[in-house]
Amino acid sequence: MGNLLVRISIAVPMFAAVVCLGLIVCSKPAGSNSSSWLLQLGRCSKLQGLMGRLRRRGWTSSRGFAALVSKCKFACSASCCMLWALAKRVKCRTFPACFNLRRLIVRSKFSALIHRLKFPALSNRSDLSDLIDRLRVSGLIDRIKPLFFRRINSNTSIETSVQPDLTILNCRVRLTGKEMHGPASAVFEVEICGSIYTPDDEHETTLEVTIADVTDAMPGPSSVQAKVKQWQMPDSTIFRYDADLGKPSGRATTLSNWTTVARLRVDWLLFPRKGKRDLKFRTSISSRQTGQELARAECTYAYENADPGYVDLEEDRSRTKTLAVALAFAVSASDNKLFNCEVELIKNWSRNNVHLSQASGRARRKLEKALNKSVAFFRHGNRLNTYQICKEIVGIARIADRHGILDLCLHVAQAKGSVAPEELAILAELAAWLEVDIDAFRNKMERILPINMHQIKDAETVLGVTSDMSKDTARHHLNKEYSKWNARVTNSDPQIQAQADQMLSLIAEARHQYVG
Amino acid sequence: MAKNIVGIDLGTTFSALALLNSIGKPEIIPNADGERLTPSAIFFDEENPDIIRVGIEAVNSRHLNAERSARWIKRHMGQADYHKTIDGKDWTAVELSGLILKKLKQDCAAERGEIRDAVISVPAHFDEVRRKATMDAGAAIGLNVIGIVNEPVAAALYYATTREVSGKVLVYDLGGGTFDVTIMNVAGHQMDIICSQGDHALGGIDFDREILEILERMYKDKLKAKLISSDEDRAKYEDESEDIKKTLSRRRVAKKMLYGSAGSMRVEITREMFEQAISSLVARTDILVEVALEEAGLKPCEIDTVLLVGGSTRIPTIRKRLEKMFGSRPETAVNVDECVALGAALHAGLTVLRENPDAVPTGIASGLKDIRLVDVCNHSYGTICAPINKETGRRVVENRIILKKNTPLPCEASQMFYTVSQGQAAVEVTITQGEDSAPEYVNTIATHKFELPPNRAAECPIKVTYSYDVNQRMHCLFEDVESDRVLEVDLRADQNGNLSEGKSKQKSGSLKAFKVE
Repeated sequence: MGNLLVRISIAVPMFAAVVCLGLIVCSKPAGSNSSSWLLQLGRCSKLQGLMGRLRRRGWTSSRGFAALVSKCKFACSASCCMLWALAKRVKCRTFPACFNLRRLIVRSKFSALIHRLKFPALSNRSDLSDLIDRLRVSGLIDRIKPLFFRRINSNTSIETSVQPDLTILNCRVRLTGKEMHGPASAVFEVEICGSIYTPDDEHETTLEVTIADVTDAMPGPSSVQAKVKQWQMPDSTIFRYDADLGKPSGRATTLSNWTTVARLRVDWLLFPRKGKRDLKFRTSISSRQTGQELARAECTYAYENADPGYVDLEEDRSRTKTLAVALAFAVSASDNKLFNCEVELIKNWSRNNVHLSQASGRARRKLEKALNKSVAFFRHGNRLNTYQICKEIVGIARIADRHGILDLCLHVAQAKGSVAPEELAILAELAAWLEVDIDAFRNKMERILPINMHQIKDAETVLGVTSDMSKDTARHHLNKEYSKWNARVTNSDPQIQAQADQMLSLIAEARHQYVG
Repeated sequence: MAKNIVGIDLGTTFSALALLNSIGKPEIIPNADGERLTPSAIFFDEENPDIIRVGIEAVNSRHLNAERSARWIKRHMGQADYHKTIDGKDWTAVELSGLILKKLKQDCAAERGEIRDAVISVPAHFDEVRRKATMDAGAAIGLNVIGIVNEPVAAALYYATTREVSGKVLVYDLGGGTFDVTIMNVAGHQMDIICSQGDHALGGIDFDREILEILERMYKDKLKAKLISSDEDRAKYEDESEDIKKTLSRRRVAKKMLYGSAGSMRVEITREMFEQAISSLVARTDILVEVALEEAGLKPCEIDTVLLVGGSTRIPTIRKRLEKMFGSRPETAVNVDECVALGAALHAGLTVLRENPDAVPTGIASGLKDIRLVDVCNHSYGTICAPINKETGRRVVENRIILKKNTPLPCEASQMFYTVSQGQAAVEVTITQGEDSAPEYVNTIATHKFELPPNRAAECPIKVTYSYDVNQRMHCLFEDVESDRVLEVDLRADQNGNLSEGKSKQKSGSLKAFKVE
């Protein structure tokens, strides 16, 4: 079995190469030497790139390969003989689908072959045109059938050049609207053609479209989730689109042209991960009365997802919490004292917030061990690069999560009942590095670390006034602060009244210092 | 017919009562001792518990038994936890203020006949709780408090009706316990208030405390002992400090003998020492003046007149600073101690004229007919809601301001809010006063449950409308738009949900039984 897989992995890219080489070889000028054409072909970096993409796109699947080959039922052409010869050279006859391959090569038209391959790069017409231009420039393309070029260069989709099997249901997907209105308005248009059979004339039919992410890198097909509740499955967030298709005209209904049956907005969907995704669209038509599935079709679409997927987000969330704990310890240790109340607060936060994939005793013990290790790390006077940590957090965490981290750090500073200047300094740095709005940070400070907790009442830290401010700016800033605290001095809460009184005194002193 | 229309300045250190004469001119009515100002001090006579002494006698008795005396009660107005326990009875700030008002009313009635309708002045920055407490104090002695007027507005009202004034006027009111600054536009007898700022704990008594600290420090430095060892000592030296302050307004040096536990010593306090001691307090008044100017969008040079009100404006450094800031000498033409009471009487006349013109004697009506006053909302009023924060995407509880501070009266403003959850059966509506968006920093003045129809989707609109009339009555209307259900809250009348619920409620005429001398 292992030997077979190795062979497959070699044979498939080879086959792709063969297909493209065949194109070149069959179109070589009369009297030319085949090997010289191949040498020229080897210089075509675009083709090499396409071969690479083919490999990545899942053509390492023998089942997919066999299916491809078996679907190629086209007339024989002279060029195919050359393809076959090339295939023999790469010794792919041992491949299980060899017989089908032989049939393909004997009977295929090259243009149809390209379509059947669902060559990712070729689905992008500009890439294909670019390739052909290169081939044309090198004089290799002259003998390709004119029909093929017409199809490629025309505005119609490549897929339309192939007549699907109308005896069964077929589906395909196109991405539209992206360029015109930005990513938010991009739409997957699901089209079907072919036949639908119903048991009798009275059946109302419904359409269901589901999407699975079948990208190779994933361990198995992953669900695509819906951001919109309307398109979520009951009791889960998995995407499912359904619509009423009405009553077919007879027991057998044949759609001879591609017909759009669903327009799925990309911003409804949440993919597992960011980047290139292979999305398998499953279109199912069922009887509304009996629920019986009447027809089904599947197709795969390669989509470049620009947004983080839900797996990415979950990983980011988990990582963010770990980094939050690191920052909390950094705040706690900033005054060179790691108080037990601070450590306990951080540990409790971790126990409640750090996600344990398995709530087993083992996982919990692992967490406790990690926390104790962190405590020991900081108690030994070690320090972290908090700037780098913040930078990483900014890259992966939402602003709400960053606010949460800052809240944790402020509560750590609050835990022992007073806050040291070093703690205030690191908190101000964290707020800046986490890109939290300065006013929002100061509002948090006022609530969590009121002035009476400050070991040193520093106007710059508490009021935000700085020595580089002009007198007018400082005056204006302090007046604004005074107005704010003066309104709070009549608050019904005595603690807030006391805080306001202290703030008013501090502002008056700061005015003397900064304004004169 | 409203015979006696009076205005009362219920001050922190002194109070005064003025009455509109037959041609609508306000006059100060002296107390039983013949004094135009009555000290806001109370003493519960220990030998004759039925008698409560108010005024100068209470000030003097305080040195003998401080436990049974009360002063500076205005500082505690609206504080639910403030009590003075005398002979087993807990006296609230409202009741103690009521005793002062009773003395004023009683002495006036002895000279001019019974009075009923009155306007009482309050600092401009007093919140609703303190305003309501002041009205309750009046109600407790059987006064019909027809209105509340801001002290600087009352002073300006009197000033503008006795002098030829026009342009932007800044009223600088530094009294015994509070400070207010109000900017207004005056054109003859037409006065439009622009804005007010104030500090409830900044006034003459704070300056006195600074002097007292100097005295204590000097005594301790020289005789290595504490100057004050009892409440009576403290009461005595508080009054001595006040004397020193007053002296320093006239002379450069004040001299006193201190008698403490370690013997006596002679001290000299210079004006420079005093000015140095109060500099941070004076700086606070400077800030509030600047804040008021910023709120009004004016520069100091655009102020035409600075009007001084309150006894503490006699301090030379205050006048010098104002002269430096505004480039001209402040106006001192009116009596800084009496103008608030005189203006309050004018305001009372205007109120009666507006609400019940037939009750105003012709002479008074003709004297007041040209006066027009447009006041403003003294605070912002809002409600608590839970919108989604645009930055974080999470719901946050916040105070949303509906009626903004300094909006000219009468005014009305509406905002739309939406229910949060599906099937929400009720909304807890909260009326707040304050400038902050954080709920913990604003005062809740009323809370009600607003029942909604059952089984509705989320996001149903609730329209909230606040209105504030010229008599400073606030009306709040919560309206469920879909069902037309409404909840109305009136913050002046004694209905469910108004300020009189709970802590500040005071029974009308409840102090009538107490004898005041």
